[in-house]
Amino acid sequence: MLTSRKVLNYVLNLGFLLSIAVSAAAGAQALEPAQGQPRPFPPIERPLLLKLGVTLGGLGLIGLELWWFQFRKTEAKPAKLREGIQEIGVTVDGGYEPNRIVVQAGQPVRLNFFRKDPSSCLEKVLLPDFHRSADLLLNGTTSVEFTPQQPGTYSFHCGMNMVRGVLVVQ
Amino acid sequence: METRHLRLQGMSCAACANTIEQSIQGVPGVSQCNVNFAAGQARVQYDPQRTDLKLIQEAVSQAGYTAQAIQEVSAEQGDVEKAAREAEQRELMQKVIVGAVVSGLLILGMLPSMTGLVLSWIPAWLHNSWVQLALTTPVQVWCGQVFFVKGWKAFKHHAADMNTLVALGTGAAFLYSLAVTLYSGILGLLGRPADVYDVYYESAAVIITLILLGRLLENRARGRTSEAIRQLMGLQAKTARVIRAGEEIDAPLEDVMVGDVVVVRPGEKIPVDGDVVDGASTVDESMVTGESMPVKKQVGDEVIGATLNKTGSFKFRASRIGKDTMLAQIVKLVQDAQGSKAPIQKLADQVTGWFVPVVIAIAIATFVIWFNIRGNLTLAMLTTVGVLIIACPCALGLATPTSIMVGTGKGAENGILIKGAESLELAHKLQTIVLDKTGTLTEGKPTVNHYATVRGTAHSNEIKLLRLAAAVERKSEHPLAEAVVQYAQAQGADFPLPEVENFEAAAGMGVQGTVSDRRVQIGTQRWMDTLGIDTTALQSQREAWEAAANSTAWIAVDGQIEGLLGIADALKPSSIEAVKALQKMNLEVVMLTGDNRQTADAIAREAGIKRVFAEVRPAQKSAQLKYLQLEGKTVAMVGDGINDSPALAQADVGIAIGTGTDVAIAASDITLISGDLRGIVTAIQLSQATMRNIRQNLFFAFIYNVAGIPIAAGILYPFLGWLLNPMIAGAAMAFSSVSVVTNALRLRDFRPRV
Repeated sequence: MLTSRKVLNYVLNLGFLLSIAVSAAAGAQALEPAQGQPRPFPPIERPLLLKLGVTLGGLGLIGLELWWFQFRKTEAKPAKLREGIQEIGVTVDGGYEPNRIVVQAGQPVRLNFFRKDPSSCLEKVLLPDFHRSADLLLNGTTSVEFTPQQPGTYSFHCGMNMVRGVLVVQ
Repeated sequence: METRHLRLQGMSCAACANTIEQSIQGVPGVSQCNVNFAAGQARVQYDPQRTDLKLIQEAVSQAGYTAQAIQEVSAEQGDVEKAAREAEQRELMQKVIVGAVVSGLLILGMLPSMTGLVLSWIPAWLHNSWVQLALTTPVQVWCGQVFFVKGWKAFKHHAADMNTLVALGTGAAFLYSLAVTLYSGILGLLGRPADVYDVYYESAAVIITLILLGRLLENRARGRTSEAIRQLMGLQAKTARVIRAGEEIDAPLEDVMVGDVVVVRPGEKIPVDGDVVDGASTVDESMVTGESMPVKKQVGDEVIGATLNKTGSFKFRASRIGKDTMLAQIVKLVQDAQGSKAPIQKLADQVTGWFVPVVIAIAIATFVIWFNIRGNLTLAMLTTVGVLIIACPCALGLATPTSIMVGTGKGAENGILIKGAESLELAHKLQTIVLDKTGTLTEGKPTVNHYATVRGTAHSNEIKLLRLAAAVERKSEHPLAEAVVQYAQAQGADFPLPEVENFEAAAGMGVQGTVSDRRVQIGTQRWMDTLGIDTTALQSQREAWEAAANSTAWIAVDGQIEGLLGIADALKPSSIEAVKALQKMNLEVVMLTGDNRQTADAIAREAGIKRVFAEVRPAQKSAQLKYLQLEGKTVAMVGDGINDSPALAQADVGIAIGTGTDVAIAASDITLISGDLRGIVTAIQLSQATMRNIRQNLFFAFIYNVAGIPIAAGILYPFLGWLLNPMIAGAAMAFSSVSVVTNALRLRDFRPRV
């Protein structure tokens, strides 16, 4: 069992290196003009209006994209108080839903993560400011409890810090 | 049927237990319920089809109590995760294989036009863009589905991640090629020359395949980063042999309750924590404490769940079960530590927060710039795809946490519990190590160090005298007395000890009694003086031993001085070595103690410590540490965690030693489960190794992105004619996150050097 795993690992790694080599070779040849052939990407004259249009369109897209990802905040959802604990369910499916949670300082908080997403990227959730981490059960609820003391904005995120949520402590 | 344990709150008497039991049993679907009042727990067996924990909890709260489900540390949960991980890997593997076959065919088809060679063995239809479209579509739609689905989900959450980038990059290459194919097709139908633009189907297919392959490798490697925790969880026994109604029965671990008597045979695992009530054995505790020597256990000793019984059989009373066991606490502590953040990660975090949106902006800008200066749509498209694909936020995001995971796990393997990544980071900056004396440098209990007799060793005189002394001392409750009894046993005095008559203790002076018609008196110089017993015979020894921080006790028989004992709290055997190792690492070692200067100096000399703070009252200990910190030093305090809590908290890094008690863990940043001071050396070395590893990872991740993105954007094209093929970008990207995880995994080879 162990040896077959090792062999598999070895083959995979070898395959990985080989594919890098092959694609590198193919890529290098694709972009180096063969003898006697013209440079692959000859300049083409475009009308000024088109250039202007592309430029403005590009800038507009950049603005729109930055606004969407960086400046538009999702609606915050408050946790509900139940028997002295502020509780809220968070669905984990490609992201956290809700991903902006409002709680009160000084009272225990329980986040119930329900993980629907089988990807191993999302199997861990970290709350670094509260020293909490949990391995999330797939198709099950995993609770994380802590008590925020100081008001402020804290983040919770996946193991790679790619999927994020915000905890607003008031 | 499902069995769960609930933690109950609000019970004040055994009658409450009955009430709760009845209320739970009243819930339809519950088949069995036991409430253990002492443990404050209920074990409920129910049919999950008919009821669930919520309903049961409600029933309990209606009865006026609260019930919380206990989340158990179970090997089974680990198994479920493992199965899920393996399923994910299998799916990835299938997609990689399909992707690789298609990519191979596509590259084969492109070879003649790429190289300009005549390769007649390659069928011409492979070069047909309609065939390529047919081949690539399944790769794009099935293999690459995950990028689009995840990218879209993230988009709806106003988030962007690696999936977004790959979806945009491969999507752009595919759609461009599709547009070219359709356009050429229309031109062909109109009878015009069709071969105007190249298609880049192979780029889309190869990138998807490579990134999936990278993900597969990364997934396999990442599974190994949390191996330490899984191994810890896997240590737990599955069943326990419990005595119920006078009979030994094999019970599943969940059925063991606090107070149960458990039988352990040689070679078996100890199921839960408890205290030995019968029998004796040696136990291998290395898996929990890191201490490699088996530990002797006899009646009254504590045993730790998940450790291995070696030689004898014994019975013990379960004291901690479920998530209260030492093992469960260790697992939780390590998990929490892995959830903490090292200060070094701050920069990477700030970068990852902006990374993907900024990369998308750069990609759009790249397109606009190339379109404006060269007007070539293909060039603009290829560089844009290159930027989107080469950027690797994963490498940045993975750099610190993976190393911390492996590092903290490695610590637990060596009996070192690290509470947070901050402590792990700080430990490598330490300059001064302050060691508490009693219980830290020393054993913490007095032992007989020296023994001399007036008559010498003829006719086993010294053993006989020791036996008399031990017989009298056994009646005493003084801590020094126990040292004498143990010493007598160790020296081979015959046990059981003879009976003692007329035992009497003179407070602060000594003890006396009659043994086998002989009057035995053991006590201080002052007492001997009052009794009028001449002590000149061994007076020089007494002075020398007291100068070396020993307490001395005279032994007189029938009014004649016969022997002298030197008793002291001895250094742990490992302490001298540990101090030497710390000094060799250029760390200043300081001793802190409440003892008098003479004792303190003697112990410090023996341990090789030069700087000593003696006669420091417990309340002043943290002030002493502050004083050291004012000297500008980063200070670690090593103590037992119970008396030293304020000092441990004051120190930059508080290291609690020898105990897994809650108090110690709460007050300290690092806990050494075994009492061995060499653990400090190991902890610092581990910190150094982990930080080195993190720096390598961060450096690589930053450099990779900082260099890779501009090259992919074609910054070198005007000068050197270099352009990065998107396929190479895909390979580089897949390689970068794999290499970060692989580098972190090197930490698993960490071995302590003392």
